[in-house]
Amino acid sequence: MKREQIGLSLGLRLLAILLALLFTVMVLLLSGAPPLEAFRQIVLGAFGSYKRFTDVLVSWVPLLLVSSGLLITFTAGLWNIGIEGQITLGAIATTWALRLLQDSTFPPALSLLLATLAGMLGGAIWALLAGALKTFGGVNEIFGGLGLNFVATALTLWLIFGPWKRPGIGSMSGTEPFPQALWLPVLPGLRLSLWALVPGLLAWGMVFLLLSNTYFGLRLKAVGKNLRAAYLLGVPTWQHMMLAFLLCGALGGLAGSFQVTAVYHRLIPAISSGYGYLGLLVAMLVNFQTLWVAPVAFFFAALNLGSIQLPIVLKLDSSLSGVIQGVLVLFVLLLDGVRRRMERG
Amino acid sequence: MKVELRHIHKHFGPVHANNDITLSIPAGTIQGLLGENGAGKSTLMKILSGFLRADSGEILLDDRRVIIRSPADAIRHGIGMLHQDPLDFPPLRVIDNFLLGQQAKGIFLQRNQALEAFQRLAQQYDFSLDPFAYVENLTVGERQQLEILRLLWSGVRVLILDEPTTGISAAQKQKLFATLRRLAEEGRTVIFVSHKLEEVEELCHRVAVLRAGRLVGEMHPPYDTRKLVEMMFGREIQAAPRASFAASIPVLRLQQMTLEDVRLRMTAVDLDVHAGETIGLAGMEGSGQDLFLRACAGLVRPVAGRVLVGEQDLTGKAYHAYKRAGVEFLPAARLEEGLVPGLTLSEHFLLVSERQGFFLQRAYAQRLAEEQIALYNIKGRPHSPVESLSGGNQQRALLALLRQPLSLLLLEHPTRGLDVESSIYIWSLLKERCRQGTAILFISSDLEEILQYSDRVLVFFSGKVSPPLEASALSVEELGGLIGGKGWEKFGVQRES
Amino acid sequence: MRKSLFTVFAFVLGLSLILSACAPKTPTPAPATQAPATQPPATEAPTQPPAPTVAPTEAPTQAPFVFGMLLVGPYNDRGWSQAHYEAGKYVEQKLGAKMIYLDKVNPADRPGTTASQLAEELVAQGARLIIFNSDDMKDESTKFAQEHPDVFVIMASGDQVWKEGKAYTEIPNMINIMGRMEYGKMIAGCAAALTTQTGKIGYLGPLINDETRRLAASAYLGARYCWTKYLGKDARDLAFKVSWIGFWFNIPGVTDDPTKVADDFINSGYDVIISGIDTTEALTQAKKAHDAGKAVWAIPYDFIGACEEAPDVCLGVPYFNWGPEYLKAIKAAAEGTWQSQFVWAGPDWKDINNPDTSAVGFVKGKALSENAARMVDQFISELAGGLNLWVGPLKLQDGTEYLKEGEVATDQQIWYLPQLLEGMEGQSVPQQ
Repeated sequence: MKREQIGLSLGLRLLAILLALLFTVMVLLLSGAPPLEAFRQIVLGAFGSYKRFTDVLVSWVPLLLVSSGLLITFTAGLWNIGIEGQITLGAIATTWALRLLQDSTFPPALSLLLATLAGMLGGAIWALLAGALKTFGGVNEIFGGLGLNFVATALTLWLIFGPWKRPGIGSMSGTEPFPQALWLPVLPGLRLSLWALVPGLLAWGMVFLLLSNTYFGLRLKAVGKNLRAAYLLGVPTWQHMMLAFLLCGALGGLAGSFQVTAVYHRLIPAISSGYGYLGLLVAMLVNFQTLWVAPVAFFFAALNLGSIQLPIVLKLDSSLSGVIQGVLVLFVLLLDGVRRRMERG
Repeated sequence: MKVELRHIHKHFGPVHANNDITLSIPAGTIQGLLGENGAGKSTLMKILSGFLRADSGEILLDDRRVIIRSPADAIRHGIGMLHQDPLDFPPLRVIDNFLLGQQAKGIFLQRNQALEAFQRLAQQYDFSLDPFAYVENLTVGERQQLEILRLLWSGVRVLILDEPTTGISAAQKQKLFATLRRLAEEGRTVIFVSHKLEEVEELCHRVAVLRAGRLVGEMHPPYDTRKLVEMMFGREIQAAPRASFAASIPVLRLQQMTLEDVRLRMTAVDLDVHAGETIGLAGMEGSGQDLFLRACAGLVRPVAGRVLVGEQDLTGKAYHAYKRAGVEFLPAARLEEGLVPGLTLSEHFLLVSERQGFFLQRAYAQRLAEEQIALYNIKGRPHSPVESLSGGNQQRALLALLRQPLSLLLLEHPTRGLDVESSIYIWSLLKERCRQGTAILFISSDLEEILQYSDRVLVFFSGKVSPPLEASALSVEELGGLIGGKGWEKFGVQRES
Repeated sequence: MRKSLFTVFAFVLGLSLILSACAPKTPTPAPATQAPATQPPATEAPTQPPAPTVAPTEAPTQAPFVFGMLLVGPYNDRGWSQAHYEAGKYVEQKLGAKMIYLDKVNPADRPGTTASQLAEELVAQGARLIIFNSDDMKDESTKFAQEHPDVFVIMASGDQVWKEGKAYTEIPNMINIMGRMEYGKMIAGCAAALTTQTGKIGYLGPLINDETRRLAASAYLGARYCWTKYLGKDARDLAFKVSWIGFWFNIPGVTDDPTKVADDFINSGYDVIISGIDTTEALTQAKKAHDAGKAVWAIPYDFIGACEEAPDVCLGVPYFNWGPEYLKAIKAAAEGTWQSQFVWAGPDWKDINNPDTSAVGFVKGKALSENAARMVDQFISELAGGLNLWVGPLKLQDGTEYLKEGEVATDQQIWYLPQLLEGMEGQSVPQQ
């Protein structure tokens, strides 16, 4: 890319952010709320205290994992919308492993490690299913993924109200919480676990290396940009697509696993927390640039958390954060179109 | 008229098409200009006839220095060129074409005068051309005759013929040669450009040989064929390299191969392809040649029969198995199927590199790309995205991506959409491959290209395949007829009911 | 092609985010100027477990008591969450307290948050008492209450601090509150039995658990009683079928489609559908059949205004009224008379629709015939007079004995009902 192209693309990104903010201000004004105060509350809600900041990090971790994973499949030209199901299956597999191990004599650390690996495996298998449907069944991964998401949700509900029912009443609240020994240790007085944060950062770094600096990443790019040509140039294409699914699924599964071991300590019906869809937005926004995943995911996590203040303090609907995120993505896409037109013209 | 060329240089981008060429041709001679495809013959003649300007060098006519700015300029100086593709206007009548070549003398077409001149000239050279026939109904040979008459009427004293015998019948060829000899006797200078040795030896008073843009030697009769071949192809390749390949086992054997798609069915094709040979696949678009070519690469699975590459039976195997056996396929849609838009040249070279570890080695990639760019004269930088290259350079890049060595190369329309210079360069690269033993199968809708570069030709017509035909024994008309479905009876192939 | 698919999809995703945010518009300019309480808190409901009696209200002199509420759904969902939200408003008005709330408290709407974390946000804004309004938040409420012993906690629909319950945990700062919807469902069942012409009642159930089983069973008991007692018919001629969709509302691909389940009921001759789910498919499908000339009725659930959607087919609606019990608990917290307990509050039998006293009510619908309405009223007064339908002999669906002849079910037996009752058709436990 030439220098002026980079400049143009960066300028348009900034413009998109500006437009999104402007749009949000208009929405706020229309609903009779003071925009500045709303933004101040969002910032305070996310960074008002050390604990809040670490809470942002808590939801940053799964988003980082999921978005990084999605970049792998995006690079291979795949829309892995089944990521929600992969997160869920990661959580289910982790719960399954912990249920087996909690009564064993294994040291908790080992149990947790095995359960985490089980989670990654669960997510990977679920992703491979979507991949197999695409490669061998000719089912577009979007439809296959959506279907598998439904199956994953149904499976979760069935487990919670059926075989893994807690004693007494089967509850929406999920399965019986695991003993505290099987929780990932958190920083004192906080909800943040370094045992989740560090692997999250490592995974992000590894995906960056993988995509930008390895033959595997290069072949994946070729597959994503021109499947046919990649095949003719000798790249084993379906194997690479399956590998992309596998890696993305494993990272999604890891996110789901942390949801169980670091956040909820049990399996709950909405265990995936919508991180999959949010991750898709992040991946779209960063447009294949892995380095940007971390800041954008952080921004999204902060928005989510900060906007909780809006209904509490200003009686505003907190889905405003959703508005900002959605509008941002729309404007970025819009201006990307503009940029393409300008480059062509 | 005496023609002298002095120190002519011509570059096309990185290609040095004419490199310091000095040649003197006395009046009244038939000068042969030999050289393989891409050697620079056409370029030199285009410079002389005003279609191209030399980068440097001089042209002297009868010892007078001239500057030729355009084809019209050349005609004024008495130089006319007969092109490989006749530059006539098919929807017009013969006589109108004849007139068009004329310098406008007044506003009104002097048709009667022209008709008179035409008939006189035709009689003089024993051409039987109907002045009121439409050009599109003429054969290639007749068109040539028309073109010669037109140039003569324009008063040319130097006549350049660029591969004039491709696509004409043997009888027409003899008539052409007779005409040329007569022109020489009349004191005109004839320059005869060809890559066919026998013709040159038969016709020319003297021969100059070009190789890779340079004039490598001249010869007078009696000709030493061995020596001429050596001059044309360089020392390392002795004459008839093909013979040695032919003795070995075929690189590709098709045994009773039957193919099918929604539109057509091709039954029980047998073919042996030998190392170093080039087979052209001719046919109207969609007559089965594309299916056939892809079947040879494992991209289409035959419904019956066997495909053997070397000694391996690869029937029903995927393309990558063929690739491992030394087969490569180059699609016509360069950016859709061949290259990956968005990736750079050096990334492409890395993709096909044999030396793949886990991490990319950027320095190695840069070196590799620079090497290949220089080797294949690709106009681009290692970090240029492939979509920014011109069509010709994309094709060169594709050729550069092919592995070494290769036993079989399958090409769809290798020069489609490329300018003449690029096409010639591409073919010189391909022929280089052939000399190293690679067999080439290629599809083209350009009959001249098929006849010019093939050793053998397969003709396709709605799912039927002709037996391999010797290209040298085939004329454009014949080939055109076969493509259109005429003349198949002689192969004993019945029309399917 | 690929690219355009990508763009279209991204567009839809972005748009849906915005729309989902915009749909329930919420510019709620803060309340404040409500009319002052017209009535002092009325007499205590007679069926109450001993609660600390509370002195008549004094006008609050200091800063108002701030309580927080976490709602599982949107505050204006015309269902479960709105009933809680309005109860909160009721307490603000009666007590001069101040409510701060957060709705859509679930991991899907608020990724990465837990209910206990959100409760802390409410505490940070000054709340001294937190109401968790859903079963979803049961574990989180326990966790929060244990970590914040200085904050009062009301866990609606939970049973953690029920000494006689199966999941008892000692949590001094927690109160469980639940309404005895069993009565509402019995009345609903009665209205259905009095109306059906085919003798077939369909029950549109959510997911299968102890709570939903006991509510379906209550409806059946009410129906059977009115069918035999008032109409003099044979209990064996009454068909009562439960179809579970698998969740509280329709999730395409995951649950059975309630619209289809309701249609199946109607098409196989069930002419009254009692809804146990949070949404109103039973009512809307009955309305469609009614408009097509069929004699079909429905009974919705949860929300007092639910009949408004299709009054022509609505026989009435059993609903929750959380206000009075919340008022009592919050007042106790404000005044220092708090005591951890499990409250299972029934209707005020003097007037089950009294907003100040009755925790559970039943509003009769327009479609209920005069004759049937009279008998429903008679049923209510019988219940008020001490009629108990949870009395033996009662058998479970698989034929095992649940209550012996004359045996009265304990609260525990009802709360933890293990199966549907004999005479009911439908699944008792989730498929394994």
